[in-house]
Amino acid sequence: MTRLVAVDALWFALIACAVGGIVAPIAIARGKRQWLPFAQAAVYANFALVTIATGAMMWALATHDFSISYVAQVGSRATPLFYTVISLWGALEGSILFWAWVLALYSAIVVYTNRNRPGNLVPYAASALLIIALFFHILLVGPANPFHLVSPVPLDGPGPNPLLQNHILMAVHPPLLYLGYVGMSVPFAFAVGALLSGEAGSDGWIRLTRRWTLLAWAFLAAAIIAGMWWSYEVLGWGGYWAWDPVENASFIPFLTATAFLHSVMVQERRGMLKLWNINLVVGTFALTILGTFLTRSGIISSVHAFTQGTIGYYFLAFIAVVLIGSAILIAGNSDSLRTDGRFDAPVARESVFLLNNLLLTVFMFTVLVGTLFPLVAEAARGVKVSVGEPFFNRMTLPVIVALLFLMGVGPALPWKRGSIEDLKVKMIPGTIVGVILAAIVLLLGTRNVYGVLAFAFAGFAGTLNIGEYVIGVRARRAAHGESVLTALRRLFGANQRRYGGYVAHLGIIVVAVGIAASSTFRTEREATLKPGETMTLGKVTARLKDVWGRNEPQRDVIGATVELLAASGEPYAVLSPRMNIYPMSDQPIPTPDVRSTPFGDTYMNLMSFREDGSSATIKIINEPLVPWIWFGGGVICLGALISGWPTRRSA
Amino acid sequence: MSRVALGIVAVAAMLLAAPVARAQSAAQTAKDAASQAPAAVRPPPGGTISAADSVLEARTSALASTLRCPVCQGLSIQDSPSELAQQMRSVVRDHLAAGKTDREVRAYFISKYGEWILLSPQPYGFNLLVYALPVFLLVGGLGFVVMKVRSWTAVSANGVAAEGAAAAIAGQASEPEQGTASPVD
Repeated sequence: MTRLVAVDALWFALIACAVGGIVAPIAIARGKRQWLPFAQAAVYANFALVTIATGAMMWALATHDFSISYVAQVGSRATPLFYTVISLWGALEGSILFWAWVLALYSAIVVYTNRNRPGNLVPYAASALLIIALFFHILLVGPANPFHLVSPVPLDGPGPNPLLQNHILMAVHPPLLYLGYVGMSVPFAFAVGALLSGEAGSDGWIRLTRRWTLLAWAFLAAAIIAGMWWSYEVLGWGGYWAWDPVENASFIPFLTATAFLHSVMVQERRGMLKLWNINLVVGTFALTILGTFLTRSGIISSVHAFTQGTIGYYFLAFIAVVLIGSAILIAGNSDSLRTDGRFDAPVARESVFLLNNLLLTVFMFTVLVGTLFPLVAEAARGVKVSVGEPFFNRMTLPVIVALLFLMGVGPALPWKRGSIEDLKVKMIPGTIVGVILAAIVLLLGTRNVYGVLAFAFAGFAGTLNIGEYVIGVRARRAAHGESVLTALRRLFGANQRRYGGYVAHLGIIVVAVGIAASSTFRTEREATLKPGETMTLGKVTARLKDVWGRNEPQRDVIGATVELLAASGEPYAVLSPRMNIYPMSDQPIPTPDVRSTPFGDTYMNLMSFREDGSSATIKIINEPLVPWIWFGGGVICLGALISGWPTRRSA
Repeated sequence: MSRVALGIVAVAAMLLAAPVARAQSAAQTAKDAASQAPAAVRPPPGGTISAADSVLEARTSALASTLRCPVCQGLSIQDSPSELAQQMRSVVRDHLAAGKTDREVRAYFISKYGEWILLSPQPYGFNLLVYALPVFLLVGGLGFVVMKVRSWTAVSANGVAAEGAAAAIAGQASEPEQGTASPVD
């Protein structure tokens, strides 16, 4: 019953998308504008139908309806209900269904909020969104159908991938990632709408697109940080980023979207870079699909790729359609995208945005080439090669340092015409802070060049961004005699976009400092202890108390109880690193325990144990400033929220 | 319909209860731990670490972080907590202790696992592409940006700015950078 409802809903959704997707172009071409409401209705119908299908899947998961193939694949009666329901996005078919739902939701919001907008842009954009949805519906009734009938009905299933039922962040990271990834479809749809309706040369579509890109960008930023956190808490190696293909796939479109959020300002202010910006929008969307192809087709293996199948060709075909179609549309609009704008002077914020776009593009390209190179090398030479952390660190750290520098210079330079002399004066405090930070980390004993540079330029950029608030508050106090807090509040009110952007900058700087500190000053020690024995790492003294075992319905748990001892010998904290052993996995899943303080974490992992409990091997990692990364992620999102918050004036 | 409502309530309850349950189990674990008798403090095993040992350790971890853990997809044998990675790390340590150079140890692992074991492709032959392409884009892109800024400022700034354009852009990126970075060099 559940199965039939869901399958019917998906088929009707597919028909609604196919019909609705072609109605608008035909209606506009034939001058039958009275047909356009049908396209709108198709968008709402698609949302309702996909909601029914997704709801049916969650219901089937919650009720252990093993007659449905996806439930039989990821469900198990022993798995707690919470992890059962979130396994909606635990494997390929369910995540495609969830993707289709997020897309349907976004489409409905786009059409509803722009229902009174005159012109053909929104009907064309709705068409584009319906056609994208059509692609996902084809997957859902074809190669990624989660609703196959299983017969005979199994009594129980294997449960979700152990890595996915081991941590609460699995309820947070994938939805954020989909909200970010799928969100990039909306700017793309607006770009297609603008190209088809002949509005590509005007600024209207850019204003619509900007806030949607910011929203998707913020979700993607939050997703990337949450993914790092998950990796840190679950994988047991004490790191949070391994330049793994799946991580790269989420990061690549983030970089192009970041570039767009900056270069779009040049278009709005100066009417320039139109062609470049529309390419960034199309490219970002294509890169989200490419990323999904890379990670979901099984062509590249990765720790995060829990799904694979034969749907790679569908994705490749779709990417080809997107790129070729966009190229034709852009070529057809080349006249309206050409700009004859001018820069007033080379030293101005516009120039910094150009360099920022160049560096972000090079960054994106480096990660993309590094991610794809193993495929290329195997095809060309027949030899398997790896491209991993040492490569990406060597190639991208110089770019990251240069971007941090520009992040400080950009806000300090005015639009149109700046002067080197003014800039030099503005850079003095930042330079002093940067030099002091560099000196401190050198004194602390690191000789890691990029570690030192990252601290120096993070300090430089942080000071210059804070300096913008100081200058703004001072000016308001001088002009209106306001108190500091009132002046700061009104500063945000007067130009929320600009000052929200600087908040996002500060968030990125906090993340950069957290990463620089934890990768430069990380120390670790591993020791095999008998109960009662202690080990010491820096200021941390840990005593193994005991090794214990426990059976839970869905898994067996082996844990060690380890006390952290103060100088007096009194325990001040207890950590319980564990290994969770799931029946479907031959390797135990490490479950490290972390004690967090604002200055850093004590990260503890159980490496191995004697079965009689007589000893355990414990690894302790001292991770300075790691919580700053999670905190900085929050600040980035806050900045995006301030920047994009709708106001009466901008609406 | 009431079953659906019940399901929704159940899911919501689980969502709310999950962090609580986590906190409770953590508290329980702490209580369990506290209820057991404290054991005597003994000196850490292993004793003191000599200077030679710490040099060997540093070399081992530097080399281990360039070698791929074969069972964990993407992690180095330095980072991976897996058993195989731990064994491979001790092989690295043994070889280095026996007086082998980094190059020889790397060659040993390549002979055993193929080039795939290196996390960074060897920089010659076809592999040069992966290093060169980003650099080409950077250099070409920089040239393009400088050219564009020159042409965009040529008319409006009466030719004076045009001459200084490229130099100013280049100077903007490099001159102050040297200023702040100098204590490092």
